Parts: sequence; structure tokens; C-alpha cells
Amino acid sequence: METFWKTIAAYNAATWPVQLGLTLVAVVLLYGLYRRPTPAVRVAMKLFMAFLNFWIAGVYYMVYCRPREYHGMLALFWAIMGGIWIYDLCVKHASLERTGRHNAFAPLLLAMPLLYPLCSLALGREFPMMTMPVMPCSVAVFTIGLMLAFSERVNIVLVLFLCHWALIGLSKVYFFGIPEDYLLACSTVPALYIFFREYVRSNAERPTKPSGRVLDVLLIVVCFLVGIFFTFTLLHQFNLFSDI
Amino acid sequence: MKTKRELTDILGFVAEYATYQLGSGVHTSRVVRNARRIGEALGVDVRLSSFQKSTILTVLDSETGEAETRVVAIPALPISFERNSDLSALSWDALDEALPLDEIRRRYRALVEKPRMDPIFTLLVVGLANASFCRLFGGDWTAVGIVFTATLVGFAVKQRMTAHGINHFLVFVASAFVASLCATAALRFDCTAEIALATSPLFLVPGVPLINGVIDIVEGHVLIGVSRLVNAMLLVVCIAVGLSATLLMVKDSLL
Repeated sequence: METFWKTIAAYNAATWPVQLGLTLVAVVLLYGLYRRPTPAVRVAMKLFMAFLNFWIAGVYYMVYCRPREYHGMLALFWAIMGGIWIYDLCVKHASLERTGRHNAFAPLLLAMPLLYPLCSLALGREFPMMTMPVMPCSVAVFTIGLMLAFSERVNIVLVLFLCHWALIGLSKVYFFGIPEDYLLACSTVPALYIFFREYVRSNAERPTKPSGRVLDVLLIVVCFLVGIFFTFTLLHQFNLFSDI
Repeated sequence: MKTKRELTDILGFVAEYATYQLGSGVHTSRVVRNARRIGEALGVDVRLSSFQKSTILTVLDSETGEAETRVVAIPALPISFERNSDLSALSWDALDEALPLDEIRRRYRALVEKPRMDPIFTLLVVGLANASFCRLFGGDWTAVGIVFTATLVGFAVKQRMTAHGINHFLVFVASAFVASLCATAALRFDCTAEIALATSPLFLVPGVPLINGVIDIVEGHVLIGVSRLVNAMLLVVCIAVGLSATLLMVKDSLL
């Protein structure tokens, strides 16, 4: 637990100007995607996302989180996600054109990386030992927002990688007591349902079984179970606070 | 008595019917029985000899002694027990109702065009099944949750790579690696991480080829039985390679 926050502090102290720069680039690219989604902007956003993932893998995990156990595995996890963005760019899978859907939910998720530091400050943490915009969970929630707002056809492998990350986040809340990760978990459960539902609907013309309605119910049940797990960790967290 | 054209027609249908079953996970003697039953319904004798990638079929008109032989490639199809059962039932219907070839063909088309399982449904169910394996082997609930999501990722990788026509040995290595890589998340928590890691690639175990290989050998179809077992063993080796790659990376704590 102590190592966890020390590595975060070292990372933030050394990289805050770069994090600030990356946040500004993200804002500019998002503005471009909303206002003038030219092919150049879309390619730039994909390259930026690949860079962000490789940054988390290379700089965050391999340099600053070296004292943590299994940092190499987490670095590889994020490097694979960076590779998926490069693959997406090469095969032109996700178009990154505005879908016009989830106009309230997606911007909220896109703004979430800025809420992370505010949440940390509200919990009484101080710089540099706090969550910042360019950290794994904030990048994950930003990616989910980006895919909700701009991807007609989502890359299901990338979605599942992020889903896996978010559910680990829930376990982190349970075991390490990091309530900031609720932000990611809260956003992932409905986002996961939306992604799967839209994926199923996009394939609705193919004759498959069970029917779309049954699948919808199944997805709701799975998300409900995840929600119960979420509530359980929340209650556990309250116990932790009362113990403290 | 059958004309040459009728014999060719029957052979064409039986070849398609038999190879469809062989490609979708039916053991050889069952395919032979079904094909012979269809032949009996149509008044011909069907002889079938099968290998891993192709089948040799002969249709013989016992009245005239005229025979037609064809070598047919076995297609790679998804395993579907429901479809296999339907196709077996079709052979009984053909015999019991003395169906003509056109009617058998029509019913066959209707059966093979029935909707398949939705890939998302398969994904979720496979995830739940593998998570259940974790629980059965003694994993705690944190490990079960991690295995569930690790399986979703690994199986999605398998589905996408298979859809892109990538060599299935590579698909197995990559899927096992990704699933076990995701399961290493369990190592960071106070849970049964070893069980999570060990059970994460179990969804890849080629159960149907293993069982069919044994049944084929026991029932005398030794060549195809051994071929199926060798193929299944290679897939198991691929799973081991993928899992080993992950274990090598976390070797300090596990090996």
C-alpha cells in the first residue's frame, strides 16, 4: 500500500509537466473530433491513444512503478492495448466519427480524468501523492468515453481489456482501499452494457440465437451481478473507513 | 436400378453430408453409420474411409454393380452438438419415411442454415463456464471474478483471430497467453492466484477432438483417431506454450 502511493508520488513529481501537456493535447484532439473530425484528426487521435497506452506501459509501469511487484505484467497489458490502437489505425477498424449517441454519458467519461485529481483532493490527499489525469485508470475511463462518443463499431477486444482492468479496479478498492477507482468502476458497468448491446444490435441482421431480447436480458443480469459486487466492495470500503 | 446421373447426385449429397459432420466434431463411426443409413434409404450402398483432412466415398448400386468414388476435403466448421444430433436424426427420417433425395437435401439445407449461437452469448457463457472451473478447483471469489474477465479477453482474442483466418495453433498460443496474462492480476491480491492462473486457459482445452480421437481408435478407425489425437495434443502444447510464456514472466514467485 505504501509502495503503491510512493510510486505514484514519484511518477507525478517527475512527469506533471508532461501530464499537463498530454491533457492539453487530448483536449485539442477532442475539440477537433467534435468540431471538425477530418481524417487527419482521427488518425492523430488514434496515434495519441496508442502513445498514451505505451506511455503508461513504458514510463508509468516500467520506470516509476518498478518497485511494485509484477509491474512488467501490467506494462505488457498496456503495451498490448497500445498495439491494438496501432492495429486499429492500420486496418481502419474504428472510424472515430461522432455517433451522436450517449451525449451526456460520454462527455462525462471524457471529463473523468480531470475529476480524478479533484476526487483525490476531496479525499484529503496532496500533490504528488494523488491520482492525476495520465494514470492507468483515468486513461482507461477516457478510452471508454472516447469509444462511446466516437466509435460506430467498437473493437470488442479492446473493450474487454478495459472491462478486465475496471474489474481489477473494483478488487483494488476492496483490497487496497483506493476509492478513486470507483469512478472507473461506476462508468464501466453501464458502458460495458452499452458496448455489448450495440455490438449485438450491429449484428442483428445475422441469423443467430438466442434472440436479441434474450441477450439483452442476459447482459442486464451480468451487469447487475457486477453491480452487486460493486455494492459489496462499497460497503466493505465503508467498514474500512470506520476501522480507520 | 440407378442411372449414372442419379448415382453421382447421391454421391454428391452423401459426400457433403458426411464431410459436414466430420468437420463439426462427430466421431467417424457415427458418420459412417449415418451415411450408410442415408444410402440405404436411397437404395445404394455407401462405403466411407476417412482421414484427418479428406474422405474417400464410394456409392455402389448393388443391383447393377456400378460404383462412383470421390475424394472430398473435410471443411473446418464450428462444433455444434445440436446440429450433429439433427443430422443424425435426418438419416433416420430418410430411412423411416423413405424420403427421396430432393426432400432429404431440402431438409439438410434447412438444418445447416439454422441460426448459430451468437458470438457474444458464446463469449459470456464460456466466461461463466471457465469461472466455474476456477471455483470447482478451489478458487475464491476474487479469483473467480478475475478468471471470468480473463476468459472474456482470451476468448475474444480467439474469436477475432479465428475470424481473420489466422493459423489455429497461433490462435491457441495467443489466446492462452492473453488469458493467463490477464489472470496474473490475481497475483497482486490476497487470493488463490495460482488457481486463477492455472484455470484461465482451460476454455481452450480441445475436449471434442480428444474424445473423438479415443472413440475412433477404440472403434477401429485408427488412422483418423491417431490424427485427431495428435492434432489435439498439438493444441494442448500450444496452450502450454502460451501459459508458459506468462509463467516465465512471473517466475520469481511461481516457478
